[in-house]
Amino acid sequence: MQILSKSKLEEALNQLGKNAELFVPLARGEESGFYPWSSYQAGSDRLMLDALNVLLPPKSVVFPQTERMYSFTSTGPAVEIKETFESPQPRIIFGLRACDAAAIACFDDVFLTMGFIDSFYQARRDNTTIVAHACYEPGANCFCEAMGVDPTEPVNADVIIRDAGEVYIWESKSSKGEKLTAALGSLLENKEAAAPGLKPFQQQANYEGVAEKLKGMFEDPIWEQLAATCQTCGICTYVCPSCYCFDIQVKSWGEEGYRFRCYDSCMYSEYTQMAGGHNPRGNERERFRNRFLHKLQFFSERYGKPLCTGCGRCIVACPAGINIVEIINNIKEADTSVRA
Amino acid sequence: MSEHKCNCENPLVPGIVEVIDIKDETPDVKSFFVRGIGGGVPFDVMPGQLGMVSLLPVGEGMYSVSWQEEQEYLHFAIKRVGLMTNEMHRIEVGQQLGVRGPYGNGFPVEECKGKDMLFIAGGIGLAPLRSFIKYCFKHRQDYGKIQIIYGSRSYADLCFKDELFEEWPQEKDTEVYITIDNPEEGWDGHVGFVPAYLEEINPAAEGKIAVVCGPPVMIKFVLESLEKMGYTDEQVISTLEMRMKCGIGKCGRCNVGSEYICLDGPVFTLAQLKQLPPEW
Ligand SMILES: Cc1cc2nc3c(=O)[nH]c(=O)nc-3n(C[C@H](O)[C@H](O)[C@H](O)COP(=O)(O)OP(=O)(O)OC[C@H]3O[C@@H](n4cnc5c(N)ncnc54)[C@H](O)[C@@H]3O)c2cc1C
Ligand code: SF4
Ligand code: SF4
Ligand code: FES
Repeated sequence: MQILSKSKLEEALNQLGKNAELFVPLARGEESGFYPWSSYQAGSDRLMLDALNVLLPPKSVVFPQTERMYSFTSTGPAVEIKETFESPQPRIIFGLRACDAAAIACFDDVFLTMGFIDSFYQARRDNTTIVAHACYEPGANCFCEAMGVDPTEPVNADVIIRDAGEVYIWESKSSKGEKLTAALGSLLENKEAAAPGLKPFQQQANYEGVAEKLKGMFEDPIWEQLAATCQTCGICTYVCPSCYCFDIQVKSWGEEGYRFRCYDSCMYSEYTQMAGGHNPRGNERERFRNRFLHKLQFFSERYGKPLCTGCGRCIVACPAGINIVEIINNIKEADTSVRA
Repeated sequence: MSEHKCNCENPLVPGIVEVIDIKDETPDVKSFFVRGIGGGVPFDVMPGQLGMVSLLPVGEGMYSVSWQEEQEYLHFAIKRVGLMTNEMHRIEVGQQLGVRGPYGNGFPVEECKGKDMLFIAGGIGLAPLRSFIKYCFKHRQDYGKIQIIYGSRSYADLCFKDELFEEWPQEKDTEVYITIDNPEEGWDGHVGFVPAYLEEINPAAEGKIAVVCGPPVMIKFVLESLEKMGYTDEQVISTLEMRMKCGIGKCGRCNVGSEYICLDGPVFTLAQLKQLPPEW
């Protein structure tokens, strides 16, 4: 078995960062998220490989917050469109957890299947190597296992690292992973080490049967109660590793401009606002319901798994204290037989 | 996964077309005929499919392709309702536009073969239906009797008047019924709303497919009338409209339940609609 000694971690990151843009979990001021290792400031930044979880997920590596799609010129009646998108440099996301890796698998389903392939996403995804960090000690808000994610065996990983005390066990899972193994060369050693056992989860979400049960709960009064305090601020969608809704907008000056896409949120009323004033999800409760149904029912119906991987970020970030674990459990326990 | 180069087949990047003709249909609907630069159509469509039209730098909007004339042009009929459509109504012949597609499932033209067809439309709702109506005329032997019931607020608001009054009534085994909401001078045709007129005409359900498109209230009452008249949920087809951005089932916003209207719709049978959460 191959191991990476923790004492050689920085050296290894420097090595990996030579041939690729390397993203690692860092705490930076008030924020934490995945930042380029090349921007690491010893002293002020802190490497957060042990955190469960850093506040922002690594989704922007494969799906940036804003992305130019193409540029154009429009001169009188004439229009010219220039494809400006270039495949990004090879990238590595180092140290993301099983929940975030599973969320990228959800993105793969959305952007790469069902008729159309999203070329922008595909280009980034193809050039991204995933080094996932197996979890053995679930954090205070983690509930991935309940959502069908095995924290000890991250899906979609090109390499899995496992914390075995003084060392990380290094396990390559794909040809992209082999390239990293080769790049690290003698920094990796051949040694036996044992991963610990998985400790119990503190959050208990009972998602079993919930997708099915929700089919009959679209008009259930429970939504009124669950959504009561939601401010539809959209923070939950921003911090969520699996939320992918986007808007398409134009920026122009004179005869030139470009079209770009950017994160959007189903929590905002403009999201579905139509000309003439009609809005199918005009009120907060309707938007709240759609978000949770999308995560817990609709995505399962379409892609065979929920669109929540149990990372717990929205629980931490929500200013109104809305907790998806409680929502799942409330739905699970709701007695719908009395409400015809 | 393989090494990826910039892909010119990118479904989110429009191709360029030129407006070769513009026609006023009503005070707020114009027809736009577009063709690829140097000829040809940007893509082939089936009746009921959609195109995302880009007027740069103003905006992008989803429209039913009201007809594809061979490899000559695509026809969109666009109602002025907001920012982009206002600007669209100002452009002139020769203007270049971006367009991407075709999107959506389109009408089930194959499954309807051998049936009598009942088309019911209100206002701009005739734009999507028209592609199916004209398809039936083009493949006349494949379809039985054709009945078209169409209404709008006033005579001026009726789209495609030449076809409605001159061309379509001449087609074999075809009846065209037209109504306007309120009486007006010079109009000696039917007056009243579409659902009431439909019940008056009372086309028998047997062997028939009804295709309905129009404003939400009209659709609602027409569906009720059809049900009263004995049409089953499988015999009734309608289209849904949601706000759209990507058109390819990715951006998230056009869902009703787990269906994306841009990809799985916009055409559904009433049986399918009844499976969806009542958000339409
Ligand atoms: C499947 C489908 C088929 C359609 N077919 C036609 C047609 O054949 N002819 C026609 O005139 N109109 C059609 N529409 C409606 C048309 O897309 C909108 O009316 C138009 O985009 C409004 O644009 P606006 O920018 O002028 O309005 P604004 O109010 O300025 O719109 C602002 C934004 O909302 C979006 N938007 C507003 N209303 C709608 C809407 N009803 N549907 C989707 N997006 C909307 C616009 O694209 C724009 O991004 C269709 C819509 C759909 C979904
Ligand atoms: S973060 Fe909380 S308050 Fe804000 S939209 Fe999400 S659930 Fe609602
Ligand atoms: S919904 Fe909340 S817990 Fe689930 S993946 Fe998104 S941020 Fe994490
Ligand atoms: S318009 Fe983007 S998903 Fe339908």
